[in-house]
Amino acid sequence: MLDTWILVLIASLALWYLSHQAGRLDRLHHRIEMSKATLDTNLAKRSGIVLEIANSGLFDRVTSAVLAQGAHDALDDDDLTSFSRLETENNLSELLRDAIEAMQPIAQVEQNLEELKLFSDLENVCNRVVLTHRFMGEAVDDCLAIRKLHLVRLLHLAGLAPLPAKIELDVVPPEFPSIR
Amino acid sequence: MRVGLVCPYAWDIPGGVSAHVHDLALALIKQGHVVSVLAPAESDEHLPDFVQSTGRPRAVKYNGSVARLSFGPVTAARVSKWIEEGNFDVLHVHEPLAPSLSVLACWSATGPIVATWHSSMDRSRVLQSLIKLARTAMEKITARIAVSESARTTLRHYVGGDAIVIPNGVNVASFANAQPMSGWPGDGESIVFLGRMDEPRKGLSILIDAYPAIRQAHPNLRLLIAGPGDASDLLNSLSAPDRASVTCLGKIAESDKASVLASGSIYIAPNTGGESFGIVLLEAMAAGTPVLASNLKAFERVLAGGQSGVLFNNEDANSLAAAAIALLSNATQREQLRASALLRVAQFDWDIVAAQIVDVYQSVTLNGNKVRPDLTGQMLGRLGKLRITPEKGEL
Repeated sequence: MLDTWILVLIASLALWYLSHQAGRLDRLHHRIEMSKATLDTNLAKRSGIVLEIANSGLFDRVTSAVLAQGAHDALDDDDLTSFSRLETENNLSELLRDAIEAMQPIAQVEQNLEELKLFSDLENVCNRVVLTHRFMGEAVDDCLAIRKLHLVRLLHLAGLAPLPAKIELDVVPPEFPSIR
Repeated sequence: MRVGLVCPYAWDIPGGVSAHVHDLALALIKQGHVVSVLAPAESDEHLPDFVQSTGRPRAVKYNGSVARLSFGPVTAARVSKWIEEGNFDVLHVHEPLAPSLSVLACWSATGPIVATWHSSMDRSRVLQSLIKLARTAMEKITARIAVSESARTTLRHYVGGDAIVIPNGVNVASFANAQPMSGWPGDGESIVFLGRMDEPRKGLSILIDAYPAIRQAHPNLRLLIAGPGDASDLLNSLSAPDRASVTCLGKIAESDKASVLASGSIYIAPNTGGESFGIVLLEAMAAGTPVLASNLKAFERVLAGGQSGVLFNNEDANSLAAAAIALLSNATQREQLRASALLRVAQFDWDIVAAQIVDVYQSVTLNGNKVRPDLTGQMLGRLGKLRITPEKGEL
């Protein structure tokens, strides 16, 4: 009789442990999804601000046209994991760096307040893209650490969820001339 | 933005983490955010509006000193209730490894969670089992911040993962306007020490060892000591004239700190370890008092490798004495240090630091994704809710 109880106890402990691990995995996958969505949102915001800047006449016509095209391309693609989307986002990062680098120091060009605000918005959003990209990478690392465990792999505790992967993205922000 | 800040240490007992949370809360409120702080407190009197207490903390030995922490089912229930009622956009927990409110908050919440690591710990001091237990809480944290490189290293080595470094903040303006106490620094030069007198890691004994030599070179020198604790044994080791030149203020109010710091010709920080950041160095710099500090890594960073203050060899009274004598004799150098320190400390002003933290908040929040109570993590809280009912009258 006692043996049976011990067996039941062990079995229920094992079950609790497994469901606990599955719960952890579920939470981690959710965290990855959320951080990915936040990254996606901030990338879209970046494209939006680039479009505004392109239409504001802050840059010469050619630069404006190129920036606008780059932002449109990035906005057209919905799937953040697709190769083409990553290409367009990387391209936009590069275009931004080139455009800002070639820009006159802001103090010399008389800018009105609205235009300065556009630049500080761009600086903020570029900064947030760096942060969200990083936070997503950390979420993926945390998740992979558990997905690697033998027990988790053997018992398919992660269910059908695909193995998460980091998004390799060029998020290096442009070097903004000091505005303040 | 609605922000919930969690401070694991007692609100009404001065400490680095609670001071950080206090200043951060004020800076966020100034920027127009809605802030609620959850913290243990010895008494509910004199708490600011934005602080909610979880009751009296318990004294626990932790990380080499006594910490006042809060835990248990009743506390867990209060944490869940606070999260439920707060309807926060982001939950920001501090020092999540302390077995206190921050871990409880991580367990009982889901959604955007930011955590700040404050302390640097040695391996011997880190409770490995605690880390295992806390790991399920750590995994829920969306963004990790460390206040210093050494706090970041602690996190990377003992917990895993990485953090962005956003330094501690200082209210530069309130220190810059500080007036010295009347009669200070006086005709001769004076030295200020600030910190617990009977805590060996604060290093008062090293300063006292060096003091006779410094005073021999500068006979009019006076020493001003401020901080809680009993230093009579240490001071009695001095000769009578040396002893007479020491003024002991005892524990001082947070609001008097600035004027105490401004009362010295130099401020000395002889700490021997356990410092992750060195906020009081920045405060002295903001108050316009040149800093002489032991060469702890954290202090080196704050002083820009010695550009904004002078460093001496840690735990070496002779090195301290030599550096202090040189600095007290050289008014030009003190003036240069003062100017360099003011530039340096501007980077740590709360307005700038809080803006960096808000950037992190905005990077973890998404429209409609709020902080919600986590039902699976609430088992402790449920037990507590049953037990909390009879106490209601008292609450």
